[in-house]
Amino acid sequence: MNVDFAPELEAFRAEVAEFFATAPTPAIREAGRKTTSVFAPFKECMEWHRMLYDRGWAAPHWPKEYGGTGWSVEQRFIFAEEYRKADLPPLLPQSLGMVGPLLIDLGTEEQKAKYLPPILNGEDFWAQGYSEPGSGSDLASLSCRADADGDDYIINGSKIWTTYAHHANRMFMLVRTSSEGKKQQGITFLLLDRMDYPGMEVRPIVGLDGFPEQCEVFFDNVRVPQSGRLGEENDGWSVAKHLLTHERGGANAASPTLMRYIERAREAASQTPSPFGGMMSDDPVFQRDIGELEADIASLGHFEKLAISGHEIARDPAFPSMNKTINSELIQRASVLMSQVSGVSGLARQLEALRVGSNVEPQGSEFDLIAMPLYLNSRATTIYAGSNEVQRDLIARGMAAGA
Amino acid sequence: MDFSFSDEQTMLRDSVARYLEKNYDFDTRKALVASEAGWSADVWAQFAELGLLALPFSEEQGGLGGSIDDQVAFAQSFGRHLVVEPYVHAVILAGMALAEGREDEWVEKIAAGEAVAAFAYEEGNGTPSPAMIAMQSSASGDGHTLTGEKRLVVAGAQADILVVAARMGDGGPLALFAVEPGAAGLAAAPYTTIDGFAAANMRFDDVSAKLLIEDAGETLNRIIGHVIIVQSAQAVGAMEALVKISGEYAMTRKQFGQPIAGFQSIAHRLADMKIAYTRALATMLYTTALGNSGGLGARDIHVLKGQLGKTGREIGESAIQIHGGLGLTDELNVGHYHKRLLAYDAQFGDHGYHMRMLGKG
Repeated sequence: MNVDFAPELEAFRAEVAEFFATAPTPAIREAGRKTTSVFAPFKECMEWHRMLYDRGWAAPHWPKEYGGTGWSVEQRFIFAEEYRKADLPPLLPQSLGMVGPLLIDLGTEEQKAKYLPPILNGEDFWAQGYSEPGSGSDLASLSCRADADGDDYIINGSKIWTTYAHHANRMFMLVRTSSEGKKQQGITFLLLDRMDYPGMEVRPIVGLDGFPEQCEVFFDNVRVPQSGRLGEENDGWSVAKHLLTHERGGANAASPTLMRYIERAREAASQTPSPFGGMMSDDPVFQRDIGELEADIASLGHFEKLAISGHEIARDPAFPSMNKTINSELIQRASVLMSQVSGVSGLARQLEALRVGSNVEPQGSEFDLIAMPLYLNSRATTIYAGSNEVQRDLIARGMAAGA
Repeated sequence: MDFSFSDEQTMLRDSVARYLEKNYDFDTRKALVASEAGWSADVWAQFAELGLLALPFSEEQGGLGGSIDDQVAFAQSFGRHLVVEPYVHAVILAGMALAEGREDEWVEKIAAGEAVAAFAYEEGNGTPSPAMIAMQSSASGDGHTLTGEKRLVVAGAQADILVVAARMGDGGPLALFAVEPGAAGLAAAPYTTIDGFAAANMRFDDVSAKLLIEDAGETLNRIIGHVIIVQSAQAVGAMEALVKISGEYAMTRKQFGQPIAGFQSIAHRLADMKIAYTRALATMLYTTALGNSGGLGARDIHVLKGQLGKTGREIGESAIQIHGGLGLTDELNVGHYHKRLLAYDAQFGDHGYHMRMLGKG
C-alpha cells in the first residue's frame, strides 16, 4: 500500500497551476465563478474545453489511445484539485463522460472514428435523450417511438430533462422499436447527427434558479438514418445501462469540487458574524456541521481514489449506484451549508449579475450570488441519472443477490 | 497509489482468517468472555505462533519489523470475530511504548507471548488528546511515584507490566512510566467492558514507577494514531459482518407474507448500511496507505476516527432495527458487534470531537 509523494508530482502540480493561472480568458474565469450546478455556462465552458484539448488535457479519464492523458491516480487528483482551486468551469459531462466512453466501449470502428474526435476537441456537444414525461424512474417504460422505414427510422414522441439540448448539435437517445415481450426488450439506442432535423423541436424549461438548463425535445415524424444505431435493434437497454455506469460511476472525481465548496463556505463564515458572538466560523455548532461534511467528502475522495486506482471496490456491481448516491447527497449538503452561511444575503434574485459578461455587480458578495442558485439547482442531483430511491433499490437488490 | 495488500500480507490475512474461522466462533467467544481469565491463553499462543505479537517491533528488538498495513491486513478478521484478546492494548499501545523506551527484555517477552502488558492512559474523559492527561508524577529519591486514577485499562488486572501516561510533576510534559503490577499502593477494580474485554479501573497511591520516556507527547500521538488505524480496521470488519448478517436476515425473515427485504423502507436501510460500510472501508484503506507512506497528518486521523465512529454507530443501530426484537437479545451476535463499535467510537475521541476538530479548520 502506498500513496506517492514524489517530488516530480509537485513539479506536475506547478505545471498544471501555471496553465490554469495563465490560459483561461477572463470570460472563462467568470463562467467558472458563476457555475451554479454540474453544468457550467455553455459558451465559455466549450471555449475552455477547446483550450484544454489543445493542451492535451480535455479527457484525463479516457484511455490514452483515444486521447486520454495516461496520468497516474495522483496526477489525476492533482489536476482536479488545481482545477477547482482556480474555480474554472467543469467540462460538460454528456459528451466526455457519457457518450464518449460508451462509444469507446461499444461503438463500431466507423462510429468511433466519426464521433470521438469532435467530442474530444469540443466541436460537438451531445444532449442525452432518456427521460420522457411518462417515464422517469421507470425509464424502461419509455414510449418515444422509432419505426423502421427503408434505411431510416421515423421518430415520434418526446423527451424531457434533456440538459442543454438548446445548445447541443447532436443527441443520443432511447427509442421504442418494439412493444413485444418485456418493456426492456423493445428499446433501441440511437445517435442523432443533428438537432435540427425537420420535425424536431427543442423547448427550454426555466428552472428554479430562473435559467433554462433543462429542455423538452419533440419529435414529429423525424426521419433519421439507421446507421446511427448503437448496438442491435431492440438491444438498447443493455447499451443504456452500460452508459449509466459511466454516468453514475464518477470517472471524473467529484470530491475536489465539493472540498472547494467547503473552503468557500468556511471562508464566508469567517466573515459572517454569529449571533452568539464572534464569527460564524468560531461557532461550535457550525464547526461540528462543517467538520462532519468535510469528513464525508474526504471519504468520498478516498472512495474515488480507490476506484480510479483499480481497487476491487469499483468492481462491486453496486459501485455506480453507491457513487451516485454519495456524490449527489454531498452536493446537496454542501449547498445547504453554503446557503445557510449566506442567509438573507442569498435571497436576492440576481439573474443579470449571474449572466457571464453582464458586467452587473452582485448584491452582496460573489459567494452570496451563487449560494442560493447552487442550492436550488442541487435539488436535481438526487433526481437525475436515476433517482436516489432507484439507486438504493439497485444497491439493496444486489445485497439480496449476495453481492 | 496502490491500495492492495502484498502477497505476504494476503497470506497472513488468510491464515489469521482461517484460524479464527475454525477456532473462534461466536459461542466460543462467549464462553471466553464469561471465563475467569477473560480471554484464551491458547489463542494468544497461536497469535504468537502466527507472528502477530512480534509484528510491530523492529528486527533489532527481536520483532518482525512489520508496517501498519501488515497489521491492518488481519485486523478486519479480529473485528469480524469480535476478538477479546488484548492485542491492540498489550502489543501495540503498551508494547510499542516499551519498545520506544528501550525495554528490550519486555519487548522480547511480549513478542514471544510470554508476557502481557497493559496501557494505563484513559482518565474518564474519553481522552481524545494526550494533552488532556492530568495524572502527575512526583519525584521520590532517585525515582518517581504516581498518584491518581486510570480507567479502562484493558488487561490491567492481568498484566505483567503496566505502561502509564502521566505528567512529569505539576503541569510538566507528558511522560511514560513503567509500573510493576505488584507495586505497593496500586489497586485494580476489574470489570468486563460492554464489548467483552477484561479491563480495570486502577487507583495509584504513591506507586513507585520507572520513567520510560521523558518527553512522550510526540510518541503518544504517533502510537495512538497507529492504534486508531488498527482499531478502525477492526471496526470495518465488524461493520462488514453486520451488513452481511442484516442482508441475509432481511431475505429470510418473512412478515406480511414476504421477505422483509422486499419492503422499500428496509431495502433502503440496507442500502444505506452498505454505502456507509463502503465509505468506511475506503477511508480506512486510504488512511492506512497514507500511514505507510509517511504522509499521515492530524486531520487524516480526524477524518478516519470521526467518519468510522459515526458510520459504525449508524450501521449497528440499523442492524438492530432490521432484526427487530431479536436484535435486542444477548444471544444474537448483532448487539455484540454494535457494542464493539460503540466502544470504538467512545475511545480516543468520539466522532463529535473529531468532526469538530476538522471543522475548526
